[in-house]
Amino acid sequence: MSETLLEVKDLRVAYGRIEALHGVSFSVNQGEIVTLIGANGAGKTTTLTSIARLPPPEAPKVASGDILYRGESILGVPPHDVVSKLNVALVPEGRHIFGNLTVEENLTLAAYPRRKAPASEAEAAFKTVYDLFPRLAERRRQRSEQLSGGEQQMLAVGRALMSNCQFIMLDEPSMGLSPLLMQLVFKTLRQLNEEQGMTILLVEQNANMALRLAHRGYVLDTGEIIAEGSADELMDDPEVKKAYLGG
Amino acid sequence: MDALIQNIINALQWGSFYALIALGYTLVYGVLLLINFAHGDIFMVGAYIAYFAAVFLLGGHGEGLGLPPLLVFGLTVPISMILTAGVGVTLERIAYRPLRRKGAHRLYVVITALMCGLVLENGNLALFGASRKKFPELVDKAVYTFGNVSVTNLKIMVIVAAVLVFLFLHFIVTRTRIGMAMRAISWDRLAIPLMGVPVDTVIVFTFVLGSGMAGLAGILFAMSYPILDPYMGAIIGWKAFIAAVVGGIGDIRGAFVGGFLLGFIEIGVVAFFPSTLRDLFAFTILLVILWIKPTGIFGVARTTKI
Repeated sequence: MSETLLEVKDLRVAYGRIEALHGVSFSVNQGEIVTLIGANGAGKTTTLTSIARLPPPEAPKVASGDILYRGESILGVPPHDVVSKLNVALVPEGRHIFGNLTVEENLTLAAYPRRKAPASEAEAAFKTVYDLFPRLAERRRQRSEQLSGGEQQMLAVGRALMSNCQFIMLDEPSMGLSPLLMQLVFKTLRQLNEEQGMTILLVEQNANMALRLAHRGYVLDTGEIIAEGSADELMDDPEVKKAYLGG
Repeated sequence: MDALIQNIINALQWGSFYALIALGYTLVYGVLLLINFAHGDIFMVGAYIAYFAAVFLLGGHGEGLGLPPLLVFGLTVPISMILTAGVGVTLERIAYRPLRRKGAHRLYVVITALMCGLVLENGNLALFGASRKKFPELVDKAVYTFGNVSVTNLKIMVIVAAVLVFLFLHFIVTRTRIGMAMRAISWDRLAIPLMGVPVDTVIVFTFVLGSGMAGLAGILFAMSYPILDPYMGAIIGWKAFIAAVVGGIGDIRGAFVGGFLLGFIEIGVVAFFPSTLRDLFAFTILLVILWIKPTGIFGVARTTKI
């Protein structure tokens, strides 16, 4: 059994007075791909923004429970330190790329956590990202708002990689992508996991694809975890099949 | 011909003042989408800081340090810039940041900015009284005459300073990582901490730049027009703000183009009409420009991709 990287313990969070998570517990081990699946409004995005420690109004307030990373509570850690000190990156829902910056500037800015490292390190990171996504290399001088939706998603993943993360959380990376691009993004995630040992927490509505990629999964429904298990178990679970995999 | 060149030089000088102040509005707006209406008064505070620094360093009447004027000038410029930057950062810290933390609507932040400006004006009035201050002469005035055109060394200094500031800021905004963050934050605030960049650091840096340049404008203005009073920042601040909007607020090129444009229009009007018509004509022309291009000369309407 490898080390537990992230542990969410009985987490209750609320937007104002409305509680969005009613005691959610799950964990992610080093080197694993874990997926959180569930319908719209189940609390998947809320879970990720809580872990990323984004401030309200984007993220909710934690009412009780705890989030442990490498065994230590991160509730008091500001969001920029989650990225630059803990090396946990979030690829947010809707991508949130900086459309007024070029592709290369987006990536340069994302390398901010490495600003004190030698320049060769950032160059190596650029090479990694451009090797993974040659399309980005071709378009590096373009304003990123001119990219297609799929290219913007590649850029969003690329930015996370520039930050030197060891743990990457992705919120609906398949959203708005053609099936072909979707497969490319998922293939890249598997490659990152297998070749670099990247730990991945994946939030998806496309349960089928997510479970095929992941080692383990949790099913979230209206703020509670209703099922968990290995990806194979969940795929064979009749309830999960009925509700999320289309029969 | 000589009159034309003379007017161009005068327009460049006034344009430089407007541009140096306008960029403070534009930088803060670019980062926070906040119109910092206190900025004109930060310029005024900059001029007063320069005054007190210069008087103290020059000495006389048995007080102060008694340094030679040129050295005093060399010291007063950085002192005014640093201290004025401190004033801007303090305003951000005690007035704007708490509102931001509470998620206040932008309207309340703008009103707060207006009140901060009034507090600075009236605080100055209460502390130092209504009597005007005479700024000491730090640099021996030299007049260079070419034909009928005369240029003072001060005018050249003001224009050169504005150009250098533009090149410096352009470099910061386009080449450095913190400059990229300044541009990125206006596009998508949420994603800034996800890049590992502390939002507050970017905001404080922006206030340091904007207010520091207002401090530079303050000392240069005080040397050119050496009478200081608590309300000196009000009108010039409004004009610089309008210049920033006409140039396209949020873009530093816009601040400089707008500033110089306003300088040229004002001097141009006075060259042909009675000076009482200056502001009427100037602002009518600016109105027409906005009517044709509401986002300003360098402004772009933002598009989003789903």
